[in-house]
Amino acid sequence: MEHYNMNLTLKVWRQKNTNAQGQFESYQVPGVSSEMSFLEMFDVLNERLINEGKEPVAFDHDCREGICGACSMHINGRAHGPWAGTTTCQLHMRAFKDGDTITVEPWRSGSFPVVKDLTVDRGAFDRIIEAGGYVSVNTGNAQDANNILVPKDDADAAFAAAACIGCGACVAACKNSSAMLFVSAKVSQLALLPQGQPEKKSRALNMIAQMDKEGFGSCTNTGACEAECPKEISLTNIARLNREYIAAGLTYEK
Amino acid sequence: MKWSQFFNTSIGKKLLVGATGLFLCSFVIVHLAGNLALLKNDGGEAFNVYAAFMSHNALIQFIAWGLKIVILVHAILALQLTFRNRAARPVKYAVNPGNQTSSWFSRQMAIMGSILLIFIIIHLKDFWYRMHYGELEPVSYGGEELKNMYLAVQVAFRELWIVIIYVIGMIGLSFHLVHGFKSAFQTFGLNHVKYNGLINFVGVWIFGILIPLGFAIIPVVIYFKSIQ
Repeated sequence: MEHYNMNLTLKVWRQKNTNAQGQFESYQVPGVSSEMSFLEMFDVLNERLINEGKEPVAFDHDCREGICGACSMHINGRAHGPWAGTTTCQLHMRAFKDGDTITVEPWRSGSFPVVKDLTVDRGAFDRIIEAGGYVSVNTGNAQDANNILVPKDDADAAFAAAACIGCGACVAACKNSSAMLFVSAKVSQLALLPQGQPEKKSRALNMIAQMDKEGFGSCTNTGACEAECPKEISLTNIARLNREYIAAGLTYEK
Repeated sequence: MKWSQFFNTSIGKKLLVGATGLFLCSFVIVHLAGNLALLKNDGGEAFNVYAAFMSHNALIQFIAWGLKIVILVHAILALQLTFRNRAARPVKYAVNPGNQTSSWFSRQMAIMGSILLIFIIIHLKDFWYRMHYGELEPVSYGGEELKNMYLAVQVAFRELWIVIIYVIGMIGLSFHLVHGFKSAFQTFGLNHVKYNGLINFVGVWIFGILIPLGFAIIPVVIYFKSIQ
């Protein structure tokens, strides 16, 4: 692909802290290379802001190789920008052209309060995991790996669900701020495996109860989450979560 | 888990919305089948006999009242969920993805449902209320005297504005069911590559197009016959 440089206008959401009123600010960013990642473009902008003695734009980032899920940016109305199946760090500037104006917002959800600028608090996801997204294992010697047989198809489906990196793009993309894709992936990865069976019922019920308590909206099956998920988690997981809920709700004695 | 708890979570409420929605889908089939008698060229006999049967049979009366409760449960729970969903995003996005990530129909369920609810109220007042509690001209077939509902329908659909309201109502029904029918299956956890194509086909072509079209044709045909 041909390399080119471009001049961009960024409209970035600036917000001092959770309680402050936020607003958009515009920045001219000249000479952006098409080879840069979106985050590197922000690094260039922040270097300049620091040199000018101004407050740099706060944004989350960690691995910069598409597997940590930290880089939460809503770019031109799209979670992680216009490319499918990518995080913001894997979005490259060749997705844009010279003279573009790019609007960058934080994830918008009452359950993900803005910490500062583009950084949001995704602690609600952690609390959902704490409510049941685990398998209780007794300590002791590791068992032989082949003690419990797992069909290959189940292992593949569980692995596909386990690819969820908890980035929150599903919530950001959903018109209802629903966390169903996240919760369904975290329930599915265990519900599909024999090791997940003993706590199956309480897991589904407790995680859904926590999801509701955190104030996430409900799913209306629009499919926006699946379209935006950087790990391409399938809507079939949401159907599985619904089945888990029905089965557990109708039979759980507590 | 108690029943009250089971139906009080977001998924529990959605299960009720989906179940009532599918029940209403089955109702529109029966309703359309009966209504098509309006297009029969027999001076209204078939339709009047059908209307009399529907308003006197005890079992049908029971189901008819159940139907009104089902509509209310469906609408109240769906609105409750909608308000909660709106509240889940207190600060809106400046830029939205539009149709890039989801279908237009799937995002208009509350609007189309509300249009439909208003239509149902108008429709019940127009015909159901008059059939049961209003004054209608009598008509007799072979000695048996019946209310001439057929005539009331013919008179109503001579008015262009009433025809337009009915067509708008059916556009609301169409757009609501294009997403609604298949969405209910996903809520029940019924998502399987082998059946998704069929569910989608029935949702879009039967419930989204064929049935609303069948309903909408009736007032349009009656109107054009009346101005001839």
